[in-house]
Amino acid sequence: MLKKLIPLFACIIGFTLLPFITIAAAAPFYEGKTIRIIVGYSPGGGYDAYSRLIARHLGKHIPGNPTVIVENMPGAGSLIAANHLYKVAKPDGLTIANFNGGHFFGQIFGQAGIEFDARKFEFIGAPGRDDPAFVLTKASGITSIEKWMASKTPVKLGGTAPGTHTPNNCIRIVEAALGLPIQLVSGYKGTAEIRLAAESGELVGSAWWWESIKATWRKGIDTGEIIPVLQAVPKPLPDLPMVPLAINLAKTEEARQLIEIGIHSGSVVARPYVLSPGIPKDRVEILRKAYQETLKDKECIAEGEKAKLVFAPVTAEELEKVVNGLFKLDSVLISKLKEITSK
Amino acid sequence: MIEMVNAFALGFTQIFTGTAFVLMILGIVIGFIVGILPGLGGATTLALMLPFIVKMNPVEAFAFLLGMAAVVNTTGDITSILIGVPGEPTTAATIVDGHPMAKKGEAGRALGATLMSSLVGAIFGAFALALAIPIVRPLVLTFGSPEFFMLSLLGITFVASLSGEVLLKGLISGGIGLFIATIGLCPMSGIQRYTFGQIFLWDGIGLVPITIGFFAIPEIIDLAVQGSSIAGGRMGKLGGVTEGVKDTFRHFWLVIRCSAIGTYAAVIPGLGAATTQWLAYAHAVQSSPDKERFGKGAIEGVLGPGAANNSTLGGSLITTIAFGVPASVLMAILLGAFLIHGVVPGPDMLIPEPKGHLALTFSFVWINVVSNIITVGICFLFLNQLVKVTQIRGSLLIPFILLLIYLGAFAEKNTFEDLILVMIFGALGWVLQRLNWPRPPLILGLVLGPLAENRLFLSTDNYGLAWLLRPGVLIILVVTLIGGFYPILRARWRKGKRDKEQPAAPTKAVSRDGIRLLRFSWATIFSLFIVVVFTCALWESRKFNVRAGLFPWAVGFPVLALAIVQFILDLMDKESRIRDDYLTETGPGLPADVVNRRTLNIFGWIIGFFIGIWLLGFNLSGPLCTFIYLKIGAREKWPISIILAIATGVFVYVLFDQLLHVPFPPGLLFNFFSKTFSGGSNI
Repeated sequence: MLKKLIPLFACIIGFTLLPFITIAAAAPFYEGKTIRIIVGYSPGGGYDAYSRLIARHLGKHIPGNPTVIVENMPGAGSLIAANHLYKVAKPDGLTIANFNGGHFFGQIFGQAGIEFDARKFEFIGAPGRDDPAFVLTKASGITSIEKWMASKTPVKLGGTAPGTHTPNNCIRIVEAALGLPIQLVSGYKGTAEIRLAAESGELVGSAWWWESIKATWRKGIDTGEIIPVLQAVPKPLPDLPMVPLAINLAKTEEARQLIEIGIHSGSVVARPYVLSPGIPKDRVEILRKAYQETLKDKECIAEGEKAKLVFAPVTAEELEKVVNGLFKLDSVLISKLKEITSK
Repeated sequence: MIEMVNAFALGFTQIFTGTAFVLMILGIVIGFIVGILPGLGGATTLALMLPFIVKMNPVEAFAFLLGMAAVVNTTGDITSILIGVPGEPTTAATIVDGHPMAKKGEAGRALGATLMSSLVGAIFGAFALALAIPIVRPLVLTFGSPEFFMLSLLGITFVASLSGEVLLKGLISGGIGLFIATIGLCPMSGIQRYTFGQIFLWDGIGLVPITIGFFAIPEIIDLAVQGSSIAGGRMGKLGGVTEGVKDTFRHFWLVIRCSAIGTYAAVIPGLGAATTQWLAYAHAVQSSPDKERFGKGAIEGVLGPGAANNSTLGGSLITTIAFGVPASVLMAILLGAFLIHGVVPGPDMLIPEPKGHLALTFSFVWINVVSNIITVGICFLFLNQLVKVTQIRGSLLIPFILLLIYLGAFAEKNTFEDLILVMIFGALGWVLQRLNWPRPPLILGLVLGPLAENRLFLSTDNYGLAWLLRPGVLIILVVTLIGGFYPILRARWRKGKRDKEQPAAPTKAVSRDGIRLLRFSWATIFSLFIVVVFTCALWESRKFNVRAGLFPWAVGFPVLALAIVQFILDLMDKESRIRDDYLTETGPGLPADVVNRRTLNIFGWIIGFFIGIWLLGFNLSGPLCTFIYLKIGAREKWPISIILAIATGVFVYVLFDQLLHVPFPPGLLFNFFSKTFSGGSNI
């Protein structure tokens, strides 16, 4: 009788211990392994710079101290990397992708070329929010939001390509939600060319990530030649306590929603670090924890400061919440957003 | 003023302080290798080096990075000349005349010329940068999108001079380039143009797969057909190198003018050495009295791009330093390095210390000069060894070059589909070469097309039609018209004079052509093919809106018309005289059946290597294909086949996979295995 029960007991004990055993087994899983961070853009850009910085420090926060390398997979505004993560990369927790979260909006808009389901991705976190500020030249005479609203002629703002969170989508949404006189001139190769065009008087200004404006256009900001007149963020940025928030200028509920979903949520998911679907949960947890620790790592922060890469960590939970929220949106709002941003 | 001179001197002494100099040498060594190897681009390598510069001071960091950036174009020229594969995308123009020189046994002379002209170009660019410093900001700020559009239009007119003797074909070729440039997401409307549902085409077709396919594949086919070494047993003259150096001074004004083209064209945002090399080449052709020598080993065709791709760095630095607008990927990465060191590009860079960073800016000038002097010096020491590459048996070189072609195509964007593009454009390049169609205009159209389209819409969106009356626009228009019509008038004038002297020439051609009426040669079929492709492309474009369609229509309809004219001319066999001349010249005197067999054979290997890489990945197929080619294809002895195969394997694995972490696709066959052994294939 007792002999018969032994295997049963063994099974029970075995199953109770199983979770512990898997944790114990997963802890050294990363030992001697190589984690690849796939960046959806070419070397030299902001996504690449963040990923390389994080890659240099991530390994030491993961049990087993794996090697972390960065690979560039540029193309289609990082959509190639996003599709690759979903379809090709093995779900073993050794591949992390960093692409533009604007493609999550692409999915709800039903855009061509998207081959993933954002709800199935596992999120790790993001180094910051892409909080945009609208900056205009002093030479244009439009130095405040009041003057802008009163402007008789449309204010020429520079854009890059349709569908980019900043500058294009952000400018389009503000134009639609607040009814500001704006003429979006799109087609500049990057924000550097927009800056040059603004300095030569061709444009009045543009809107993109404030941290990046601060780093690359500091001279203009310091001398007062370039003035931030509006920020599209939920709470004022620390540098810009007096600059009005777009959301506070919205008159209707629909305008508020457009700004909240289109710009605020868009900023949160702009630079996510993502894992493919179906990865063992324990590995996801290890990477999430290590990622957040890396963003608080003193050495990492110090190195980032030198390169003007600041951290305002976004957690995996926040990303998940925003992405899942997109799929619960009212279809009228979705089609409105789609209409505005694909103009 | 005194402060400026001080800063100029200080910039010079700064780079000779202990570590800065050592780091510059290190940068030069890395740049040297990167330039020589086609698979490694300067930009990619620079990005990989960024983390190392965090701990350096600014002068050290830029000594390291600029040392590297300054020499890639110099050593890239070497690869272009010796094996006909562009060492860098920015050295493709050197192939057109440099490689034919190597084939004639004049590799030494070509290398001497390119090195010397590179040095002159680098020094010119550096001092142009120095002299431009006080005036550059106000000057460039008077330029807006309309002026940039007009300048790109001026560049496009260079297509005519790149066409050489066959103007019509050249114009069509340039038009094809402009049209290919429209492939991808339209930047103005977001509409997909000619992407065929492939997302890898959203960003358009890259310059690298096109130039590699266009120039390297036809050369490797030639090499295989010839069945000997690159120089084909024609021994290089020993004095070749000094001859090349002398050539630089014989054509000194050409070298200076091409340097100026390189530097000043690069001030336009979006124009880098990938474009300026062709403008300089076009200028070299245009300013030469006998254009028919070009493409067959004319020394001016080596000197022009050799100087321009090096002088461009100075010009690119101007926009990067003064405005923070990067002219190329390389400059974008340098900009990242600026930020790491708390250096903000802009007016501060042009103000003397302690308020600004002028001495630092001048140290860039000096780094550019000094690192090129060092590189050229080193190159001259090893030149005779390098030239020996052209005397190695072709069969030993071919597998290696083939692998470099595919590595180079892949490693730029880490995109496997680019390998397919290399084959497509390789085939096209080969057909163009056989049928005497000029290839450079196509490349020029490709690089200038996006700039022209973009700036045209930006001009109209910003200014309506008022931009047409801006003074800058009118001035550039006049220059363009003069530049466009002068060579035509001059040619007509010359022709008139020649006809007077030799009235018998035309009758000879008539008597030779006889009464043959219609001929369906390969040339006719190819012209028809172009007509059909353009008809389909224009039919497809009916779905575009005006913003997306304007440019394809403005290019497409005229090119279609020209292609129809060309088709009719081919049908009437107008051009057989030139073509026959051409064929007899390249044919190495082998019987036609041998040529055909060898051509088919090398086509098989080109496709075979691709399939090998596709199925097995680079790491395994590299040594395997090399071995199979050497042992079975070329019937080499066992030891040499094995040694070379192993060397190839080690080279690919250690350099690309381990050191540079190029993400090679694992190969189709391994995907089956990886399903069962998950995680097994990760190192």
